[in-house]
Amino acid sequence: MISRVADHCFWFGRYLERTESVARILAVTQNLALDTELSEPQCWLPVIIVAGQKEHFAAEHGEDAAADGELVQRYMSFDEDNTTSLRRSSSAARVNARSIREVVSLEAWETVNELHLWMNSEQALEEFRSSRYAFYRRVRQLTQLCLGLTQSTMLHDGPLDFIWLGVLLERVGQTARTLDVHHHALTNRERPAADTHGQAQGGESRQHRVVETALWLSLLRACSGFEPFMKLNQGQVNAQAVAQFLLFEPRFPRSIRHCVHAAFVRLCEIRPPESATLPGGESVERLHLLHQWVADRASEALDPLSVHAALTHVVDETATICDGIGRELLGYGPPDSSPSFTSQ
Amino acid sequence: MLLETPGAGLFAGYTPLPGAYDELFGPGGAPRPEFLRTATLLGALAPNEFARAQQLAEIALLNQGVTFSVYADQRGAEKIFPLCLIPRLLSAADWAHMERGLEQRVHALGLFLDDIYGDQRILQQERIPRDLVLGSGQYLKQVHGLRPPGGVRIHIAGVDIIRDPAGTFRVLEDNLRTPSGVSYVLENRLISKRVLPHLLDKARVQRVDHYPARLAETLRSVSPVDPSGTSAVVLTPGPYNSAYFEHSFLARTMGLELVQAPDLFVDQDQVFARTTRGPRRVHVIYRRIDEAFLDPEAFRPDSLLGVRGLMRAYAAGNVALANAPGNGVADDKAVYPFVPEMIRYYLGEEPILEQVPTYLCMRDGDRRYVLEHLDELVVKAVDEAGGYGMLMGPQSTAAQREEFRARIEATPRRYIAQHRIELSTSPTWDPASRVAVPRRLDLRPYVLTGRDGPWVLPGGLTRVALVAGSYVVNSSQGGGSKDTWVLKGPWDVDSRVPSVGAADPAPGAASNGPPSPPPPPPPPPSEPPEAL
Repeated sequence: MISRVADHCFWFGRYLERTESVARILAVTQNLALDTELSEPQCWLPVIIVAGQKEHFAAEHGEDAAADGELVQRYMSFDEDNTTSLRRSSSAARVNARSIREVVSLEAWETVNELHLWMNSEQALEEFRSSRYAFYRRVRQLTQLCLGLTQSTMLHDGPLDFIWLGVLLERVGQTARTLDVHHHALTNRERPAADTHGQAQGGESRQHRVVETALWLSLLRACSGFEPFMKLNQGQVNAQAVAQFLLFEPRFPRSIRHCVHAAFVRLCEIRPPESATLPGGESVERLHLLHQWVADRASEALDPLSVHAALTHVVDETATICDGIGRELLGYGPPDSSPSFTSQ
Repeated sequence: MLLETPGAGLFAGYTPLPGAYDELFGPGGAPRPEFLRTATLLGALAPNEFARAQQLAEIALLNQGVTFSVYADQRGAEKIFPLCLIPRLLSAADWAHMERGLEQRVHALGLFLDDIYGDQRILQQERIPRDLVLGSGQYLKQVHGLRPPGGVRIHIAGVDIIRDPAGTFRVLEDNLRTPSGVSYVLENRLISKRVLPHLLDKARVQRVDHYPARLAETLRSVSPVDPSGTSAVVLTPGPYNSAYFEHSFLARTMGLELVQAPDLFVDQDQVFARTTRGPRRVHVIYRRIDEAFLDPEAFRPDSLLGVRGLMRAYAAGNVALANAPGNGVADDKAVYPFVPEMIRYYLGEEPILEQVPTYLCMRDGDRRYVLEHLDELVVKAVDEAGGYGMLMGPQSTAAQREEFRARIEATPRRYIAQHRIELSTSPTWDPASRVAVPRRLDLRPYVLTGRDGPWVLPGGLTRVALVAGSYVVNSSQGGGSKDTWVLKGPWDVDSRVPSVGAADPAPGAASNGPPSPPPPPPPPPSEPPEAL
């Protein structure tokens, strides 16, 4: 498979997953903002942080702008300068697919093309204004349809492996950052509550627990993990169980453990570990180590204080592995780096 | 489904343009006898339903991404190539004539190129002026003496043909480098099948969907290695090229990889693709990039584009390039007037297809005439295409004529002139008045030539000037297209051969696999046609 084609496949997958993920987080947060007594910044700032756009957003709209939920949603949906906005991500997915039109199946292409055309149309703005729920739902459905069509209408070989390697590694990053931001926010909230003294303490604490539970539930929903979590934990929601679930539950398709494992399996299809002469050896080794590391952590008791460090390790390692895949398999690097050896 | 409403039909009040040949209607206003049945069926369509189908067809093209990029638009906007659903019809007899004429013409042009890049007999015998040929900007010294793999140079030809008021087909120009447009032929037919299935069936139209299979076969036939072990690729400049849709379309329908120049490299005079599993040898390249950008080593040392060393590999016979570099000398507009002479010289035959009388500005007598009659003539730069670099004399302003006068006097070799031929017309949907109106059109048939000889795709791309009064059919300048229906003759058998995907298995393939399962049952005959 041509390296450049593999590169487009990889990024097609990543941008599709990113679009779906951002749409889901926006929908969940909007829902959360209606339900809880959280302040607007407490609801909306995490959305900006998970997208990695805190500085850009503040530079464009000011430090306190996260208090404006409508502004955040417009920024994350349509802003042309925000590289993670739905409009930008869906267009980027479409540009990558268009660059490999002969590789992506017709049905998958038509779906991503329709998503792009719709995102840039008057109807999309109208839907955004009149029914926010329908707007996010439509974005999610078209990206999910497109991802499903890659599975059901394309040959199960190299291109699909690269698309899903991209999807899975993007998903690792999304889950890790979403969990990290919420975990951080929730652990910080606990301290002032614990320090409060006075008669109303019992009531506040109960109130606090309600809000906290709502936040954990919304975190689960943001990762499409609400129902699976409930099935496994019989409705007992607490910080440790949620973190454990999103990090280590091997049966949940968006947990970090599952995604890292599935990504490793895809990479082994692309570059079998035993084929020592093929390019890609370092990436296979490194992803294998990460997979091993996550599995080792899963068997230990989860220390709440170590969650942030573990997630940071996962995010950093994933970024390094993506760089390595780019270098070894996707043809990044100096333009005139034609390999010195040739084979037929 | 389109309703067939008698009475106020599609052609109500249709009047052919005076002085032009109408493809569908005779001078008396009645449909031409060979198209009577199809014209009657078409004419029975209700304009309202037709308008809706036309609109849906355009949405389908946009959703499918059947678009071309507009160079002038900096944002890289993509547009659909507008399609008029009313087909352009060609009779079996006309097509048989055209097919023979095209095979003859492309054969002679191929022999001319072999000769020019070989012994140059035709120049020695002064049948064509030596300076004219060797002075062409398209003459490529680098390929002199090279014999291309498989002996073929014009693997794909697109020949532009117009029809004069007498109904005579005339070749307007040859495209022997990287002719485009064939993907629209195939896409237009798909849409006709969805919207006008009953009509297509009753009209007995020749199929076009086997083109990609024939093209792949043509490419494999010229491989420097065994065709079954051949790795062929399509080389594109990339997604920002105006014809990118077509490049990816052809790669997809042929099952070949679409590559860009940085995906390829040359080592020891062999071409390799950079793959995720290391380098892989490439034997045949269907290149859709200009030859000037093929190889910086051979053509433009300053260029960053292209594959360094590609021409060395080509010269060593290790890779076939389709089309061969250097073909431009044969489709140079100043060489065009001599094609009939080539046919006589190489084949000993009279040309079957007419062409358009042409003045060469490099000849003193011709130039004087051209400069005196600028307001009557069409002047063209020999090295431009797509409707650019042209003066339409009868519609020009005095300032434009003065500009061309200066240009012709400065570089006479660059210009030719022709009398404007009144193009033929065909009924074309007018969304404003919601009826069919006469619009001018041309035809670009495609000729494939492999090791075993030529094959002509039945029909070709019909381009139509959608604007009233316009003569310019180019997609870049407000043109559209029509599906071209070549009607079967009494001698054409209505055979139901398998279509592209189900093409004959490769030799030897049948013996490898298990016996094939019985074919699926045909769809029920009562299935309603899809309205798009």
